[in-house]
Amino acid sequence: MTTQTNRLPAGGIVDRSRVLRFTFDGIAYDGHPGDTLASALLANGVTLTGRSFKYHRPRGILSAGSEEPNALVELRTGARREANTKATTAEIFEGLESASQNRWPSLRFDVMSVNSLLSPIFVAGFYYKTFMWPAALWEKLYEPAIRRAAGLGRASDSADPDTYEKATAHCDVLVIGGGPAGLSAALTAARSGARVILADENFQLGGRAIDDASEIDGQPAAKWVASAEAELSKLPDVRVMRRTTVFGAYDGGTYGGVERVSDHLASAPAGVPRQRLWKFIAKRVVLAAGATERPLVFGNNDRPGVMLAGAVRTYVNRYGVKPGHRAVVFANNDYAASTVQALAKAGVEVVALVDSRTGPSNEVTAIARAANTRLISGGVITTVKGGHAVKGVVVRTADGRSISLTCDLVAMSGGWNPNIQISTHLGGKPKWDDALSSFVPGALPPGMTVAGAASGALGLGDAITTGSAAGASGSAPVAKAVNESTAITPLWRVNDCSGKSFVDMQNDVASGDIELSEREGFRSVEHLKRYTTLGMATDQGKTANVNALAIMAELTKKSIPDTGMTLARPPYTPVAIGALAGHHRDKDFKPSRRPPSYAWSKEQGAMFVETGLWLRPSYYPRAGERDWLETVTREVNTVRNAVGIVDVSTLGKLDVQGADAALFLDRVYMNGMKTIPVGKCRYGGMLREDGILMDDGTVARLAENHYFITTTTANAVKVSQHMELCHQWLWPELDVQMISATEQWAQYAIAGPKSRDLLRNIVDKEFDISDAGFPYLAVGGITVCGGIKARLFRLSFSGERAYELGVPARYGDALIRALMKAGEEFGVCAYGSEALAVMRIEKGHISGPELNGTTTAKDVGLGGMVSTKKDFVGRMLLGRPGLVDADRPSLVGLRPVDRSERLRSGAHFVARDKQVTAANDDGYMTSVAYSPSNGHWIGLGLLKRGAERTGEIIRACDPVRNIETLVEVVSPCFVDAEGEKVRG
Amino acid sequence: MANPTLAAKSAFLGVQSLKHPAFTIEDLSSLTIASITSAKGKSAEVKAAIQTAYGVALPDTPLRVTGNGIAFIWHGPDQWMAIADRGTNNRDIEVELKPVLEGKAAVVDQGDGRAVVRVSGTHVRDVLAKGFAIDLHPSAFKTNSVAITHAAHIGCIIWQIDAAPTYEIAMFRSFADSFMDWLTHSAAEYTGRH
Repeated sequence: MTTQTNRLPAGGIVDRSRVLRFTFDGIAYDGHPGDTLASALLANGVTLTGRSFKYHRPRGILSAGSEEPNALVELRTGARREANTKATTAEIFEGLESASQNRWPSLRFDVMSVNSLLSPIFVAGFYYKTFMWPAALWEKLYEPAIRRAAGLGRASDSADPDTYEKATAHCDVLVIGGGPAGLSAALTAARSGARVILADENFQLGGRAIDDASEIDGQPAAKWVASAEAELSKLPDVRVMRRTTVFGAYDGGTYGGVERVSDHLASAPAGVPRQRLWKFIAKRVVLAAGATERPLVFGNNDRPGVMLAGAVRTYVNRYGVKPGHRAVVFANNDYAASTVQALAKAGVEVVALVDSRTGPSNEVTAIARAANTRLISGGVITTVKGGHAVKGVVVRTADGRSISLTCDLVAMSGGWNPNIQISTHLGGKPKWDDALSSFVPGALPPGMTVAGAASGALGLGDAITTGSAAGASGSAPVAKAVNESTAITPLWRVNDCSGKSFVDMQNDVASGDIELSEREGFRSVEHLKRYTTLGMATDQGKTANVNALAIMAELTKKSIPDTGMTLARPPYTPVAIGALAGHHRDKDFKPSRRPPSYAWSKEQGAMFVETGLWLRPSYYPRAGERDWLETVTREVNTVRNAVGIVDVSTLGKLDVQGADAALFLDRVYMNGMKTIPVGKCRYGGMLREDGILMDDGTVARLAENHYFITTTTANAVKVSQHMELCHQWLWPELDVQMISATEQWAQYAIAGPKSRDLLRNIVDKEFDISDAGFPYLAVGGITVCGGIKARLFRLSFSGERAYELGVPARYGDALIRALMKAGEEFGVCAYGSEALAVMRIEKGHISGPELNGTTTAKDVGLGGMVSTKKDFVGRMLLGRPGLVDADRPSLVGLRPVDRSERLRSGAHFVARDKQVTAANDDGYMTSVAYSPSNGHWIGLGLLKRGAERTGEIIRACDPVRNIETLVEVVSPCFVDAEGEKVRG
Repeated sequence: MANPTLAAKSAFLGVQSLKHPAFTIEDLSSLTIASITSAKGKSAEVKAAIQTAYGVALPDTPLRVTGNGIAFIWHGPDQWMAIADRGTNNRDIEVELKPVLEGKAAVVDQGDGRAVVRVSGTHVRDVLAKGFAIDLHPSAFKTNSVAITHAAHIGCIIWQIDAAPTYEIAMFRSFADSFMDWLTHSAAEYTGRH
């Protein structure tokens, strides 16, 4: 037996032949395909769906769409639990579990509803006024307590198990909204041959024509909608996207959308995302987003069972559901009167039509008479009786009498607000329309036309006419339909009510809060919004803002347009963070770059470190090694005593050619590059225009007009951009051709006393790599392993005899294997970025910590390289007083006085006889390492007047770890100071 | 080449191909590629030399032109990429072009610096739309169109080789697996779980 006591036997577009079972707060109910959670709950007679945000007042279902402020629920369980979902838009599926939120211990009995009794003191601004002192309690006590009391739903604590995607779609015409206006626009645009995208947030096209069961071309609207959809779906360049909300307008004809691909399913099918974020790029846009009905503001207008009149018609006409059994309709306009007809047709007794206008129109009178409904013209509802559900209303008649009416449903309508939000996202100010008593779009984003109710054309006939013309200019209406009467005389609030009159239901802002705001001087709309939080809930005040503005206008005796209007911001409705991230979460947050030795290093069990996007091996642990330090120490000792291999492919590499290549490089580097002989390399540094050291690297001259330069891994892109700027903008007259070759070459450094012996096993016999034939800083094109083209550089970062060998990257994997095999007899090991760093610190070579955007060449001991014979980028500003100040910190080496002590990078230097204060700060430790070659920790640092202080004992203070170490200032080179080893 | 003892390896360490009517991926790991950058004021001489050697007119706009066993992809003002298959003779386009363009252009080997995939299938545009922001509709992007753009935060060059449509996409080699991860995830909707 069905649980659906309030489902009509026929009518609507739900599929009664199929039953879907779902639960709400643990109770099982039936629904049908085509139902939302809200329609299915109403079909089951459930009207109490949640508790309000601040006062914990019982709330039900207000609307039938995405404007819903009240019926916010938790959907699903476990990792998929999702809070604050609108019951009015969530489609039910077999097995859906849903729950009310913001209540404890249960929905019917909620402890925190005591807040409602205290509501006279919980007014707007209450928290700010009350919880002011002592300030420390705000963070520790007040805010957590308020958050717990005033929370909404609970998000899942687990990682989201679903996947999300992003995609881009281009079109000539983007139609936002698939109601009669949007469908008409899509049809005329498509028939004109345009590429069209029609997006509607709903899973059913047709908008209010379906909700009102209107007639189009003399047939039921649902039939016309189906035939329009069928025509559109046949065209190859038309994409109809249901369940897709266009949520924002951005520059350049770009619109953001979110497609709820699988939200209506128990779980996404294999390979299919839960949601997809769309970037629509449109030449033209037709905004046909419809309109949102305004609630009326009267006592207890938030009780479960008080609903928007249009929503009541939707539940009856679209879902075949009776939202109640005895209804009162309360309105200030003609359009709402059709609710009486719809209810009467569904067998709901309509006790009264309370029309706040004194002179009823003929239409309204006729409708009331036909339904045998009492028409109370010039009347208002002053209060709703009942707590968890509507039990009745008190009506004040035009002559001031009070009448009590018994009912369980109140259908209210304060008129309609065109959904203009997207027209204002780029700053377009809306215009006030007196006839509609609402705002209509003003200045529009480029390429946008507004049609249908969104433009203020509320009648069905006008919607089709304006839509048809908007889709392709000059088009005749695609169908015939009549305009409903939409005449209105505004009623912004009912005075002298009993019970709170809510304006913003989601944020619990009542009419009295607006009065308070006005009394306390917060009269501008922006102040009103921030003082009361009106319009700041997840619905952005779709049902609240215009009423609030009008009430403030009334209080300040100004016109509504003079009072102002807050502009909407994207998103139109909330967008899940997951959709914004798309594919790019967890390990895919950013792409990762894999060096040529990656697969081999993985096989070796290497540890990796992220260097920018690169995944570089950091060290290669071997069985039995206790920790990274033991591994790194072994790797350093192997290089210093035998031979080691490290992948240096990640260094930036640029191929520079042209008749002016030498001149160009001379201008880019601080030291001379014109004078490098062909077949030789030189270490070089380049400065920023402001004289600060930008990057260091090597420059190899392969031929008269052909150079090959390397940069640090971190600065590869920056250096490339800098050199392009120099070429394209500073000296376009130079004949220079540059291109990145970083990825072309798999490059390995082979370092250590046995490096040449190892290479002899790899380099083809005809190439002389003896010290005479291939001395320190030589470079040459060679072949290896039986004819594979390669480049050999004799360069050293470790301070040992060393070579860099480059082969085309496709051979990189095979080469590391071949090198390791060739080195077996010499005890070779692979080493990673850790050992590389230890050895450069032992040699006093600078790296990222010293090349940090604040140091000059002189600061880091490279002053001697700065040419005085030529001009180069950075030369002029290098001479600024601040950069030549003798007090500037400069590079020194440091070792602990007690050699057993460990050094810490980041520790600040203070002279031994000074107090540890910021004023006495003499610099800091930039890099530290345990030096296997010295048998103790060593450091590099930037020390004030460092060059003069060799031999001084100073303090290295680490306030983070609360450690102070006495260190001796020494030369930054800790190994082979004479540099004999590199030459062999 | 003598008798090399090193084996070449694809840039794609994981998935290298996918065959499904909806979407196919083919790893083009046997390409030889060289960049051509005209010397200052010599682009007319470069074009003439290429015309003579290969019977192909180099384009000034983002286009691909093809000759006998070779294609040239526009790659910036006065810059092109020459692309051919290495074939069984291990053709090396850098070695081949250098004498042709001696003194006229910088020719740099890029065949290993770039990973290239060929993609096709009934849903190829739907899959690519999940990363490429450019318009691949036939009214905007046709056979031999070229674009330098990005997908999934990875810089790419994409060109169309036929009206099927079939596209080829080049990216820097080290990004190959990240690109393939994105591509196979994006195709999963049409090809089943990756």
